[in-house]
Amino acid sequence: MQTEHTIEALDLTKKYGDLVAVDHINFTVKKGEIFGFLGPNGAGKTTTIRMLTGISIPTEGTATIMGHDIQRQTIKAKEQMGIVPDVSNVYNELSAWENLIFTGRLYDMPKAFRESRAEELLKMFGLYERRREEVQGFSRGMKRRICIAMALMNKSSILFLDEPTSGLDVQSVLIIRDLIQKLNQQGLTIFLTTHNIEEASQMCDRVAIINRGKIAAINTPEKLKRTVKSLQSVEVAFEAASADALKELKELPNVSEAVKTGDKFRLLTHDPASVLASTWNYTQSNNLKLITINTIGPSLEDVFVKLTGIRPATENDNRWADRRGGRQRMDEGRKKE
Amino acid sequence: MKEASSYLGREARVAWAIALKDMQTYYTRPPSLMFGVLFPFSLFLSFSIGRNAPLAQQIPILIAQTLFFASSSIGPVVIPSERANQTFDRFLTSPVSLLSILIGKTLAGVIFGIGISIIPIIIGIAFFRSQITNIGALIACMVLSSVGFSAMGIMFASIPGQSPGQVMMPLNFVRIPLLFISGVYTPVRELPSWGQAGSIFSPLTHTIELARYALGGETFFGPFLNIAVLTMYTAVFLFMGIRFHVMNQRKE
Repeated sequence: MQTEHTIEALDLTKKYGDLVAVDHINFTVKKGEIFGFLGPNGAGKTTTIRMLTGISIPTEGTATIMGHDIQRQTIKAKEQMGIVPDVSNVYNELSAWENLIFTGRLYDMPKAFRESRAEELLKMFGLYERRREEVQGFSRGMKRRICIAMALMNKSSILFLDEPTSGLDVQSVLIIRDLIQKLNQQGLTIFLTTHNIEEASQMCDRVAIINRGKIAAINTPEKLKRTVKSLQSVEVAFEAASADALKELKELPNVSEAVKTGDKFRLLTHDPASVLASTWNYTQSNNLKLITINTIGPSLEDVFVKLTGIRPATENDNRWADRRGGRQRMDEGRKKE
Repeated sequence: MKEASSYLGREARVAWAIALKDMQTYYTRPPSLMFGVLFPFSLFLSFSIGRNAPLAQQIPILIAQTLFFASSSIGPVVIPSERANQTFDRFLTSPVSLLSILIGKTLAGVIFGIGISIIPIIIGIAFFRSQITNIGALIACMVLSSVGFSAMGIMFASIPGQSPGQVMMPLNFVRIPLLFISGVYTPVRELPSWGQAGSIFSPLTHTIELARYALGGETFFGPFLNIAVLTMYTAVFLFMGIRFHVMNQRKE
């Protein structure tokens, strides 16, 4: 069946008693794109992916995969997809080779094809030499690679990835991101759920932001950023700033908020050009020496914060100051939705 | 027609692949050995030692008990373990029906049950001069009972839980009382009338009766009723197992 959209969700809803985990969401994923599903913990990301892949039955609404309804044409829909869940669900008691071969058998692939495909994937993932070893001795990153290899066994059209890089070391994250980009370049449609805003911003063609079970926005990362022009800022650092610098900078014309982050000041504004000029005047009049001055556009994180109301910082209600720490807390505190 | 047979062939191959994987992965797990092997043999020994009845007459009981416990133990070991590490989701996302997934799981229990119950048959023939007088009844007993009890285990495994113990406990609440009304310790003939009426509803009664009949003994209800009841239970357990697992998917 030819279809423009590889994934289509129509009024997809999941209720657990009175709790509405996913609330009538609608979206489409185009062929060949990397579609990011971004949201805070408990927003409904994993619940959505579980409905799209047939693990969970929706309370209301439908989802189609390459034109096949996941509930009514289950087998045809499932033939089109590969799934990498948030947990590397490999068979620890089996070897890497046996894991892939068993996956091939689940897809009823002929023996010669599943063996050649398993060999190809293990070589591609750098695990061929260790194919006879039981997976339980593998590192987390290696298990993740096995899990992705299992999802690719059937040469599917769509790959669902639920938090693919979560909890991995930097090297494994880079390998997996690179792999996702390569697979996408080969024509595979990728549906990626993540709470890592930077990852979504760098990798995705389009991003849907989900919060409390509802889709808050869907667009390309750049277009989403343009929707929050109010969050533009000027970042400035002085060689020796006075103790009152923050207070004085806040009072400059067109500065809506000023925040000190390390040795830098960040001035939020609607009008970066005029703030640049007034900052320069402030520097001259106070005999200060500038180290650096930059204008900074809104990030996807700003969009995320604005749309979801999630504020990574908790101290002094300052969302700029503790952004890095906040993100780290989000990583550590992430739980299965 | 060709499409239907191709579909069925595919489903059968995948079900067999699931059964083989379960056999390779779970047969030697401690809960499988504990509840499937140690449990029936220990129960048998604790109740048979010191009784006046000759051991040869008790071989059908041991056959039935091993079939009962071994077949019904695999599903409750496999499915909660797979839920815990989310490998059960692999089946749910594969292009195969839920029926074939559960048939694959049932098959793993069937082969385990038959494999273990062959041990008392060999012991009976080798050491107690037991004789198989009706091989057809023995095959019917082993096949129908192992399928039925394995399906019963799969049905109980639909209880949400991520460790075998969470399923084994409610399962044993059913399995152990069944021993008392199924002619294991007291022959059905000697049970009070209410006990006899109750024993007809226990699938284990019919397994013991068929095993006894196959080894030259008598049956209280007759082999045809035994076969009919076991067939009915097999269908009911399979049907209920699928229903419960679908209900779980709705709750997921």
